[in-house]
Amino acid sequence: MGSKTEALAKQFEKVFDDLELVIGWETGFDSLHATPAFIRQPSALGRLIWNPFCSHNLSGYLTKTLNATAQEDAKKIGICVKGCDSRSVVALIQEKFISRERLYIAGIPCRGTVDLRRLMRLKPSLKDVNTVHIEGNELAVETARQTHRFPLQDVLLRKCLQCRYPNPVLYDELIGEPLTPRVTEGQAPPFVDKLEAHSLEQRRVFWERELDRCIRCYACRNACPLCVCQDNCILESRMPKWLSQRSGMSEKFFFHMIHAVHLAGRCTECGECERVCPMEIPVALMKEKLNQVVKELLDYEAGLNPETQPPLLTFDPSETGI
Amino acid sequence: MRIGVFVCRCGTNIANTVDTEAVANKALEYPDVTHATDYMYTCSEPGQQEIQQAIKEHALQGIVVAACSPRMHEATFRRAVEKAGLNRYMFEQANIREHCSWISSDIEANTRKAMDLVRMSVEKLRFNQPLFSSYVPINKRVLVIGGGVAGIQAALDCAEGGLDVVMVERESTIGGKMAKLDKTFPTIDCSSCILGPKMVDVAQNDNIHLYAYSEIDSVSGYIGNFKVGIRKKATYVDWDACTGCGLCTEKCPAKKCYDRFNEGLGTTTAINIPFPQAIPKKACIDADYCRYFTKGKCKVCQKLCPTSAIRFEMEDEIVTEEVGAIVVATGYDLFDDSVYGEYGGGHYPDVISAMQYERLLSAAGPTGGHIRRPSDGKAPKDIVWLSCIGSRDASVGRPYCSGICCMYIAKQATMTRDHLPDCNCYVSYMDIRAPGKNYDEFVRRAQEEYGVQYFRGRVGKIYPKGDRLIVQGADTLLGIQIEIEADLVVLATGIEPSDGARGLAEKLRISYDDYGFYMESHPKLRPVETNTAGVYLSGVCQGPKDIPASVGQGSAAAAKVQALFSRDTIETDPQVANVKEIACIGCGKCIDVCPFGAIQWKTLRDGSQKAQVLETVCQGCGLCNATCPPKAIQLQHCTDDQILAEVNALCG
Repeated sequence: MGSKTEALAKQFEKVFDDLELVIGWETGFDSLHATPAFIRQPSALGRLIWNPFCSHNLSGYLTKTLNATAQEDAKKIGICVKGCDSRSVVALIQEKFISRERLYIAGIPCRGTVDLRRLMRLKPSLKDVNTVHIEGNELAVETARQTHRFPLQDVLLRKCLQCRYPNPVLYDELIGEPLTPRVTEGQAPPFVDKLEAHSLEQRRVFWERELDRCIRCYACRNACPLCVCQDNCILESRMPKWLSQRSGMSEKFFFHMIHAVHLAGRCTECGECERVCPMEIPVALMKEKLNQVVKELLDYEAGLNPETQPPLLTFDPSETGI
Repeated sequence: MRIGVFVCRCGTNIANTVDTEAVANKALEYPDVTHATDYMYTCSEPGQQEIQQAIKEHALQGIVVAACSPRMHEATFRRAVEKAGLNRYMFEQANIREHCSWISSDIEANTRKAMDLVRMSVEKLRFNQPLFSSYVPINKRVLVIGGGVAGIQAALDCAEGGLDVVMVERESTIGGKMAKLDKTFPTIDCSSCILGPKMVDVAQNDNIHLYAYSEIDSVSGYIGNFKVGIRKKATYVDWDACTGCGLCTEKCPAKKCYDRFNEGLGTTTAINIPFPQAIPKKACIDADYCRYFTKGKCKVCQKLCPTSAIRFEMEDEIVTEEVGAIVVATGYDLFDDSVYGEYGGGHYPDVISAMQYERLLSAAGPTGGHIRRPSDGKAPKDIVWLSCIGSRDASVGRPYCSGICCMYIAKQATMTRDHLPDCNCYVSYMDIRAPGKNYDEFVRRAQEEYGVQYFRGRVGKIYPKGDRLIVQGADTLLGIQIEIEADLVVLATGIEPSDGARGLAEKLRISYDDYGFYMESHPKLRPVETNTAGVYLSGVCQGPKDIPASVGQGSAAAAKVQALFSRDTIETDPQVANVKEIACIGCGKCIDVCPFGAIQWKTLRDGSQKAQVLETVCQGCGLCNATCPPKAIQLQHCTDDQILAEVNALCG
């Protein structure tokens, strides 16, 4: 893994003259936590890291803090993306929030990233990590004293367990060799299918139990790279007033429904909403379900080709079966 | 807000199954309602006056009328409240007739539902805002699509009134189906003798600009200001130079081309003028058959043409015309009779369609007006007509009556007895539909004076025997099986909408029924209007009709256009989408989904991009509103808050 970190820094060094900024990951407040890095000096490129803790989808920063649409003479923005992250970049390009010309994309084939909460539940005492990497079906965490090994099934983020796109779909430079997807179609049913196997009543009970915990902190919305309304979110609008501040199941459910419906046919399943949820609600499941519907009805998967138009963002009178 | 509620009894239409007094009393409990009453006929003059008086007496700011469908009387009540000084959009109509009193006889349930409907209207009205129209000038030119008799009549009537008319015809000549007919029922007028002069009028009228051999490529804009792209298909002949002398058609070596005008009876040449009275009388090359286009060499016509009009390099050309109104008169096509395999249409040469028979009767047809059967050119001794081929038959997806077949069968049989007095004419019919002026008399004359033998029943199958055909069926009146040996069988093929009618409807944004006939705005009261303002219907494109009805509708459409153009400006509907710029995130999704191209980018002074609605183009469909993630784009008079208020009134 160390070699990929170095390759990443080296690649950006090569092209840094054309860049005004590199967005990647660096070690955070402790060795278990990666954090987004914004690097403006080539000398600081050494801070960049790549390891299974680098779970953040950085593409959201392109719209939320930077204006990454084409500007004359503006230098490019360098960004590190995993397979899932690259789909968000594609979707943002499709929707014209960012321009391809403004980006320099370093794509990293990824074997999966770690769900820290799962890891810490398995090994609460884990600290002072020297290196972390994936070996076969295991996560190897090397601390000063010993190397701990965990089965990937037990420590990866839920989205990584059903990953179909480990390789970036859009990049300028690929760092490392392409990987085989963990899940191909028809294999190991995704989580939606597992849930759908239950009766309607059981599913209602499931969602009531899950959503009951929602504190409407809107972290899921804020982390979503495709929640592009930013400061004009309908959830906080009083005119029109779709949602009150009342704290009840119907309001919580409605909030998540609005979020999911706004992402129908757009969600790239990066899982950020679920990763950042402080209440550990599997909120991405709703979006995965909608994506399944869009796939069935319109044969479309979000964020794969910057040239295509998402079907729910067009008007086509010849569309049938809807 | 001070709201007044008026519950209409509609005579007994509503009052019989809804307790209107209770609904009015209940309404007084709703928020902001300060006045509520019921009345016998709210739409009547005194009923309207009562509303106006109440507005003054109770200082009302908004009015709810619970009555019939808004489609019926919304305009009436809007005018009434406007006269009393309110903005016309401070009015809501609750439909407690079509949606309530008419659909159930349970008074208690109906009354409860009526109360809910009134409550929803009140809650919506509380969010209503005064809205104002703007005025835009009208371009007083009219486009007529289709050059059949219905389109010709509409074009001539418009031109007569001094309007500029643009006529677009898909074929290389106008005249449509009527030009193919020999005679017309019930007067046995010669079709081309009565249509011909009208066609000439089109050609000679300075106010009419004819695009023949052209199709509609695109339509944008709105009532008063349409922009239409017209595709002038390549004719490979310079029509400015062509004199219609016909030398090319005599010498063209590709002589075995499908003759569309003669319905495939006989052949024609690749360069062709469909018939002697064609308007415009210009030659046109069929590239599918032309030897130069299919084999790479020939150019005989080019060598011969005295005016050097042949242009093999010609390509389709798109021209743009701006018009204020559109009359659609695209007519019909004939049902494909080969669907009935048991009759052998398209399989046995002597089983032909009625339109083919029409060409056999015509003096300008392939047989010079002598009735000769296609297989061996012999004069037939026994002819059988089968009615309802592709009409009144749900099994082939055509449950409707084509309306004209009974009459043209009688005409063709009468004509046949005239031409060939020894020929036996048999007609198999389901019912005889002859409701027009002098129509039934005409059919009776065929039966009684011309000896045409009608039998009621359905033919089961037709099969050849020697050089003749055996027609097997049942006479259901006598209850016997019958078998007729015939020389010729004529299938009375029904009507279906023109090929391409649906595609054109999408371009014009008008609706069509399951079969592709265009939908009128109201089946009785607005039969020539469509639901797209400024687009009118004429002729069979709207539903099966005969010639007098098509001509009548052509004139009716022209009258509608004249009425529209009698004003200089048109009032826009303020019930359109509107962008709250402060909430617009400039994502442009509304621009992509708008079916009307009514939304464009607008750059603010700070350089940011926002959506902007062209209110004259917007049709108020609400797609943008549904798509906009921050709901910055709202449909006026149907805002999210207004709909949510209604939903909350019902479910809350």
